[in-house]
Amino acid sequence: MGAPAIGTGPAPAATLRAWRPRWRPGVLAFPLALAVGLLMLAINELGYRQAEADLSRLVKMGQVRLELSRAVRRVADAESGQRGYLLVGRPEYLAPYRDASADVTASLRTLQALYQSLGDVAGEDGLRKLRAEMENKLSELDAVVQMADGGRRPNALALVATGIGRDQMDSIRRQADALIDAENRQVAAGLASVFGTLAQNRIGISAMTAISLLVLGMYLRQRRLADQQRSAQQLAIQHERDRLEAEVRHRTTELTELARHLETAHEDERARLARDLHDELGALLTAAKLDVARMRPKLTQNAPDLLPRVAHLVETLNSGIALKRRIIEDLRPSTLSNLGLQPALDILCSEAAERLAVPVHTNFAPVALSPSAELTVFRLVQEALNNIAKHAHASEVTITLGVQPDGQAMVSVRDNGRGFVPAQTRHASHGLVGMRYRVQAEAGQLTVHAAPGLGTLVQAVLPQQTKDASNSEAPTPLPPAAS
Amino acid sequence: MNPPLAQQPPTATALACFVVEDSPVIRQNLIATLEEMLPVKVVGTAEDERSAVQWMVSPHAPCDLMIIDIFLKTGTGLEVLKQARTLCPQAKRVVLTNYATPDMRRRCTELGADRVFDKSAELEELLSYCAALATPAAL
Repeated sequence: MGAPAIGTGPAPAATLRAWRPRWRPGVLAFPLALAVGLLMLAINELGYRQAEADLSRLVKMGQVRLELSRAVRRVADAESGQRGYLLVGRPEYLAPYRDASADVTASLRTLQALYQSLGDVAGEDGLRKLRAEMENKLSELDAVVQMADGGRRPNALALVATGIGRDQMDSIRRQADALIDAENRQVAAGLASVFGTLAQNRIGISAMTAISLLVLGMYLRQRRLADQQRSAQQLAIQHERDRLEAEVRHRTTELTELARHLETAHEDERARLARDLHDELGALLTAAKLDVARMRPKLTQNAPDLLPRVAHLVETLNSGIALKRRIIEDLRPSTLSNLGLQPALDILCSEAAERLAVPVHTNFAPVALSPSAELTVFRLVQEALNNIAKHAHASEVTITLGVQPDGQAMVSVRDNGRGFVPAQTRHASHGLVGMRYRVQAEAGQLTVHAAPGLGTLVQAVLPQQTKDASNSEAPTPLPPAAS
Repeated sequence: MNPPLAQQPPTATALACFVVEDSPVIRQNLIATLEEMLPVKVVGTAEDERSAVQWMVSPHAPCDLMIIDIFLKTGTGLEVLKQARTLCPQAKRVVLTNYATPDMRRRCTELGADRVFDKSAELEELLSYCAALATPAAL
């Protein structure tokens, strides 16, 4: 009772232990991995957008610088064209002057648009000043050209010689340089911002990668731990099962030993009783008969009227002797020890056929069994025939003894009687449980096949004795009754 | 001691008999019955194999009949039978046993037994056999 309770106790707790580690990585690792993945995506996207915005601003700043330089250059071109015209006086020198003036206007418009799209208010202020100075310069150049065209060439040259144009040009250059410097500073700041974004991106992605690797490692470690625990659990269960199996084997062996001991004791007791009846009671009955034999002649002579009583006494003594024989034969089948298994079974079966008043078919082949195994077979057939007499209501019985293809001896008793439901009928009620252990004690196997209405088959398979062993048994000259 | 019974021929010589039997009850009754009913003189008894063989080997009165039980205190009547074939060849050897199975009868006959009688069922036959044995000798 105690052993199964101890055996089943640890199982539920162990099941819980086995479940929990499988839970933890599954529940924690997946959201963590998902969160890390989304974060990485977000960091990457934000970084990209920031960098893209910064870079497009930088491109525009570059355009601003180019456009500023170009405007300054075109103002200078316009001035040198005007000077050439003034020096040479030929109208073809006026064409570059006009082109340059138009280009300066276009550049200033482009710059205005760029500053607006950059949202650079200080830049727009600077540009307004530059535009004013450039317009001043261009109108000054234009005024000089008008003067020269009007035939006042010396006046125009004098105006140039005053140096006003040069001062204006210097002022334009300074203003443009200041704007370019401001733009340069902003480009440097923009580049720093781009590099900062890239660095942030790098750090963020590295961190997320490290975290995801950590989660993966954690998950794998938990998985391994869970696997280890599961296999340890299985090992423990296997161990417990082995232990229980060994226990069952041990108990079965003990029971078989006990059954063998009880059967041996039982048979010994029967043999002792048979011997006592045979020797002691037999001697007394023999002595009584001798006395009668001695009395008879004298009685014949002297008291003939007593002779019928003597005859009756002899009859009574003979009945006593016959009864003693029957009891002894039942206690210990002397036919078995005197004649061997096959003739003993023949006698048993013919007696049973007479008692049951049904045909008992026998089909016997020689088998080599030890004396105790022969007794077991004999008792098995005896018990089965008793059961048939008590329960079966059979009209036919078949008893077989022979050697199986695998070399083992087989005995079977089959009837066509009522049968029974093996699961509902305890074997003990059929007297076969002792027989089962007895057959097991001879290293054999007993099987009972039965079904209601289909009769019963009792079958035992026993190992045969080797030839050497049976030869060594053979010379025993006397039945075991010798004291 | 007792005078011969009336139905015994007066000329009959007593049959010398040796009894091997381990049960004292049967031995005493058997001796008394034989000596009372028949011209038989029991010249010796034994209750085991060793003393029976001892008696046969040592110088002894002539023996006409041996009645031998199979199961003795020690040893067996079968061995006594075998020895008697050479030691007392002239004596008739009969077996009186409780184990008069066909196998036992066959075995005793092979060892030189003249007859085998069942202790319970064939006592009358033994007495008749002994009587017949005594009578022709007198004729």
